[in-house]
Amino acid sequence: MSPDLLAILTIASMAVVTYCTRIGGFLLLRNRTLSPRTLAVLEAVPGCVLISVIAPRFVSDKPAELLALAITLLAAWRLPLLPTVIISVVATGLLRHFM
Amino acid sequence: MSTFNSSSDSLASQRSSGAEFRRGIKESLPVLIGFLPIALVLGAQATAKGFTAWQVPLMCGANFAGGSEFVAVGLWAVPPDLVLIAAMTLLVNSRHLLMGAALAPLARHLPGRKIFPALFVMCDESWAMGLADARKRGLFSLPYYLGTSIGMWVTWVLFTYAGAKLGPLIGDLAAFGFDMAFTAVFLVLLRGAWTSFRAVRPWFVSLAVAAPTYLILPGAWYVATGAVSGLVAAFFLAEER
Repeated sequence: MSPDLLAILTIASMAVVTYCTRIGGFLLLRNRTLSPRTLAVLEAVPGCVLISVIAPRFVSDKPAELLALAITLLAAWRLPLLPTVIISVVATGLLRHFM
Repeated sequence: MSTFNSSSDSLASQRSSGAEFRRGIKESLPVLIGFLPIALVLGAQATAKGFTAWQVPLMCGANFAGGSEFVAVGLWAVPPDLVLIAAMTLLVNSRHLLMGAALAPLARHLPGRKIFPALFVMCDESWAMGLADARKRGLFSLPYYLGTSIGMWVTWVLFTYAGAKLGPLIGDLAAFGFDMAFTAVFLVLLRGAWTSFRAVRPWFVSLAVAAPTYLILPGAWYVATGAVSGLVAAFFLAEER
């Protein structure tokens, strides 16, 4: 099999797997009445996933990375999205360069 | 919801659909701008790992889940390991199962021909915005959600492709801190979902499990272990209410 074909098949398999995850939970739970406990769990989903995805940042072994993360946390706490992104990127770039 | 179906009524709802779609695009603009550096970095990294330029928007348009795409690029080789990449994609995107489930009670009134295509473009950010909007207004607005999602899809496909084309020139964007944009976007989304410390205790459980998992296990297991342990915590903490 040519590498090009295999690349396309890999991308296609990603797309199929991902679409199945998108409709899977919806199909399984769409006609059920959910208990308050289930709802509490579902409400926690986005936060738990988002924090898990960025968890590696919290255990970096480089001081510059940790300081950049602290600055990003502070900015995210106080500011809207765009200023936060700008401050975060600039601070990270500077810290990586100078530390 | 109105049960009348006069022509003036459907015209009014069409007009408001368009307005809702535009409101979705408008309110997601800061997210779209936050996407740009991430998309450029992803495209650049992908070509560095052996993607041809056109394969990058193909992956990003057909898959449209950034976290799994970064993982796929990280694991990419020529030729790629299809099974490994598909398995990691499933792992990283398993959160969609729960996201779709959370959306289900709000979207019961929508027919399958509308909701199944709409789910194709569901990503973390558009889902979070659609749900936050539904909570605020008391009704899930499909055109608003589609405005956020489609704006994000178009931006993602175009700018990952731009990153792939510009790859050799901007391959070292990470050195300037652009990869941190991803983290910044996620933290702002978390701030928006923060209600009280009590309510968000499961997040800290997730962090406390995901971080050491990342240090110990290879691949993307940390996403799965972190998310699942946070949800288990949410299940048990819910009893106290």
